[in-house]
Amino acid sequence: MTARTEMDEQMLDQAIAWQAALEQDDADWDAYLAWLEADPRHRQAFDSVALVDAAITDNREQIMPLLSSDLDVAVDPRPRRWRPRLLWGGAIAASLAILIAGPILRSNADPVVYENSGTTNRSLALANGTSVILAPSSRIVVTGKDASAIELARGEAYFDVRHDPGRMLTVSAGTYRISDIGTRFSVNLASGTFRVGVAEGVVSVEAQGIAKPVRLDAGHQLVGGRGALTLAPVDVAQIGSWRSGRLSYTDAPLALVAADISRYSGKAIIVDPSVEKKHFSGSLVIGDGSKLVGDLAGVMGMETQSTGNAVRIGAVR
Amino acid sequence: MSLSDDNGLEILYGVHRADLRRFLIARTGDAADADDVLQELWLKARTLQAGPIDNGRAYLYRMAQNLVVDRLRGKQRRMERERRWSDQATDFAAAGVEPTDRSQTAEEEILAREEVATLVSAISNLPEGARKAFELHKLEGLSHAEVATRLGISKSGVEKHMAVAMKYLRRALQD
Repeated sequence: MTARTEMDEQMLDQAIAWQAALEQDDADWDAYLAWLEADPRHRQAFDSVALVDAAITDNREQIMPLLSSDLDVAVDPRPRRWRPRLLWGGAIAASLAILIAGPILRSNADPVVYENSGTTNRSLALANGTSVILAPSSRIVVTGKDASAIELARGEAYFDVRHDPGRMLTVSAGTYRISDIGTRFSVNLASGTFRVGVAEGVVSVEAQGIAKPVRLDAGHQLVGGRGALTLAPVDVAQIGSWRSGRLSYTDAPLALVAADISRYSGKAIIVDPSVEKKHFSGSLVIGDGSKLVGDLAGVMGMETQSTGNAVRIGAVR
Repeated sequence: MSLSDDNGLEILYGVHRADLRRFLIARTGDAADADDVLQELWLKARTLQAGPIDNGRAYLYRMAQNLVVDRLRGKQRRMERERRWSDQATDFAAAGVEPTDRSQTAEEEILAREEVATLVSAISNLPEGARKAFELHKLEGLSHAEVATRLGISKSGVEKHMAVAMKYLRRALQD
């Protein structure tokens, strides 16, 4: 796919701009068509940009853990507006709430971002009686007048939602969407792996590749990642056990466990390809987070290797 | 969207078929390819049970666009595999061994790993600002506006960083 003639720099810029513009909900497909029809080289420029984008998208979950994780960019220090109707359980001064501009979600209310960058759980009371407990290094984005759309951007959150048949509430995480909620459940999203566990009541989950939503009732979990979706029974006591200091898993992909440990230990946990297909069942005591990776490796008979701020976990050689 | 019944998408497809065909011809540069994609799109529209769709036309365009990129990506992988196999065949001249007998998935996995390694090293070598903007947008999934807020720069600043990053990665992947 190497271009025969060196692609015009300007066309490449345009292709990159189109690629970004088309990600938006309100993309102007007619203007894009006009651009494509104006010059056949536009299509080639776009193809080459689309292929780069596809390579990134396809490998996103493999790339993320391999980059030294200085992703937590310092938050813009400018003062921000405070929303009094949303209450933090913890100290307000220590919390980070960012108002983001130009929402991609269509809504008349501004999305509000809640980020827990501390080491302890945070309780949030959202409008309409929904309460959320946010695990360390986790983030949710709340949209809508009645907090009707909640997005788990990363990490884990436990939701306790008062049942109200007249209300539409969705919790999305990556490409997954949870709706029909009147219940208690815990959702986890980490580098492409998704897990929802229902402690009480019932939820319905939509995911890519399935035509009909999956219905989950209490004592079940749905785990997604790498194109697979697994529904399995799980001990109700396990769901959200991180709130009381334990990480519990039933047949969880190692990537999910590693991502959790990364959040609690502040270290990048890299899962070696030799063990990446393994699953873990069991319980780990969180403590100060520093012993988690060693404990996991011990239980699973694997080896750890520290380099800087990263720990690689792999098969014993 | 008023067409909320089960075959809403199929109806929408019928309504926009001519537009979609013109778009696909411009997008693929080939009428036969366009018709192939159109057929695939129709099958999808028929079988997919979409939830309420805000803008059905845009939804179909996006589906068509994704199908074109999937095909491109498939073609790129196939070419890469073939190139790799012919390289190996010259080196080892494994006479009588059917190339398809070797595990295609293993081959794919090797290529995927190499692609990951190329991307990781290219991303690590990006200029600071471009790297941060790229990671937040493409890997963490923040919108351009969110990245701008997070980094305390303008939206056009984010766009410039993204253009630098995409061009750099494009070059890295082509080499």
